[in-house]
Amino acid sequence: MTIDHDQVRHLSEVAVSVELETPEMTLNIGPQHPSTHGVLRLVATVDGERVFDVKPVIGYMHRGYEKLAEVRTYPQITALINRIDWVSGYANEIPFIVAAERLMEIEVPERAQYIRLILTEMARIASHLVFNASYPLELGAATPLFFALRERERVLDLIESVTGGRFHPNFNRIGGVKPNAGGGPTQRKVSQDLPKGFFVDTRAAMERVLSVCDELEDLVAGNEIILARTKGIGVLPVDVGAAYGVSGPNLRASGVPFDLRRIEDYLPYDRFDFDVVTASNGDCWDRWWVRLEEIRQAARIVIQAIDGIPSGPLQAKVPRVIKVPQGEVYVRAENPKGEMGYHLISEGGQGPYRLKIRSASYSNISILPHILEGVLVPDIIAIMGSLDFVLGDVDR
Amino acid sequence: MTNSPSETATFDLDAFAAEIAEAVGGQARVAHGTAKVVVAPEGWTDALTTARDAFGLGYFSWLSAVDWTTDVEVGDPPAEGTPERIEVLCAVGDLTGRLVIFSTDLDHDEPRLASLVPVYPGANWHEREAAEMFGIVFEGHPQLEHLYLPEGFVGHPLRKSFPLLSREVKPWPGTVDVEDMPSDDAPSTENPEA
Repeated sequence: MTIDHDQVRHLSEVAVSVELETPEMTLNIGPQHPSTHGVLRLVATVDGERVFDVKPVIGYMHRGYEKLAEVRTYPQITALINRIDWVSGYANEIPFIVAAERLMEIEVPERAQYIRLILTEMARIASHLVFNASYPLELGAATPLFFALRERERVLDLIESVTGGRFHPNFNRIGGVKPNAGGGPTQRKVSQDLPKGFFVDTRAAMERVLSVCDELEDLVAGNEIILARTKGIGVLPVDVGAAYGVSGPNLRASGVPFDLRRIEDYLPYDRFDFDVVTASNGDCWDRWWVRLEEIRQAARIVIQAIDGIPSGPLQAKVPRVIKVPQGEVYVRAENPKGEMGYHLISEGGQGPYRLKIRSASYSNISILPHILEGVLVPDIIAIMGSLDFVLGDVDR
Repeated sequence: MTNSPSETATFDLDAFAAEIAEAVGGQARVAHGTAKVVVAPEGWTDALTTARDAFGLGYFSWLSAVDWTTDVEVGDPPAEGTPERIEVLCAVGDLTGRLVIFSTDLDHDEPRLASLVPVYPGANWHEREAAEMFGIVFEGHPQLEHLYLPEGFVGHPLRKSFPLLSREVKPWPGTVDVEDMPSDDAPSTENPEA
């Protein structure tokens, strides 16, 4: 038998030129997955390791706060909205309270504004420390978690000492802050506003926070694996991010100094010296770095605020029954996750006619189908984690 | 590099809102630092396209709706003489801090509006939410499915006529464990330090 060499060559060429057929596969991630920070489900269509299409499925935590707000009175609503972004519960209260105060035309005493500002920045530190704990963990580094959560505990202790609550302070009142805050049972009629030793403890805690930032930077920024998994991954251009409503550190990491603390006047941030942190590449690494740097800036603000806090009353004079005059207002604030705002429509009653809650994470993760197109499967986790969302803030 | 507070302080919101209203053929209302431009539903996408292209409002903040009706199952009714309608609100801004809320009024029983997804991709989820919560049809939306609610859910929960079922079972505040709300003529509280 003779070998037909031409035939063999032909067959071998056919064999190598045929591409391996990898069928498209649907990959379900979540709803119960540690990196989804709650219950988010992603339906990904993948071809091998390459992601074609991602459909986020949300709504597992929808609690209907916008409907509930229509049957609650204004003081009752602050207890609800604490639970929107529970990692920084205190910060959720501010824009709502300010919205009601604007319609009622109430001037809040300065000391109350400073206490609000101190606690808001502490909530920012706590939230960003959780991000600094969980994000390296999702990429495989366990150690930063212990460093970050230890200092977050100190910050939560401080919030608790003032408000009585670690996660859900429910501390703001229309016209000021809760009198007798943290004072416990006092014999005197005069309310004690900040607990004894608060300034000393805060200063010490902020110094610890600043030093843990250095430690975290050493641990994470020097790690080649983390660098390889985050640099150049999940790049978000500014105009795309803006068109989707992405805000906060996610947008600042793309290079734009869009910080509502410098734009809106919901708290007296204009009296403080701090930098709006921006980065230039808009990748996962920059988003991590911006949040780390924002912890330092927030600690700077807290230290300036406890140095400059004025004395005075904690509460403006308000009627015993809160009724907000007819009108509508939109107040937004720079929350740790981004723009958080409340569009409040009042028809003159004890509760809102309509309260639209604009939460940061909702718009931030609506970018997911766009930003995850064409990435590799392991990058899904790296990109999702870098957006720093909380499902309570998505679903409301 | 950053916006200083003095820069934003000199910004004239009234003039800016009036300028946009003139360009899109709407009416501007500014109150409590919130600018609102009311336009006709036919000119909805044109108005938002103008805002994006001519005024640089490329930041999509949010979109939602309000059910103005006297057929109220939960909460208080609106003031007397409020015309029955569905009002759609859309807040857009730019990255220097300007923000304008566009508003348009739709028919209460069959609200239909052109989708904003071609103008702002971020409107996708917000319109899906408004669609399921208020029963608005966004024409031209690529995927007008339920976002939060399960498939087959009947009704539009944020309509005022939709009952809050937990409240039907147990009224709130519960009379057992909560004291009565104070009446209007109760004395006002004053801060003891004030």
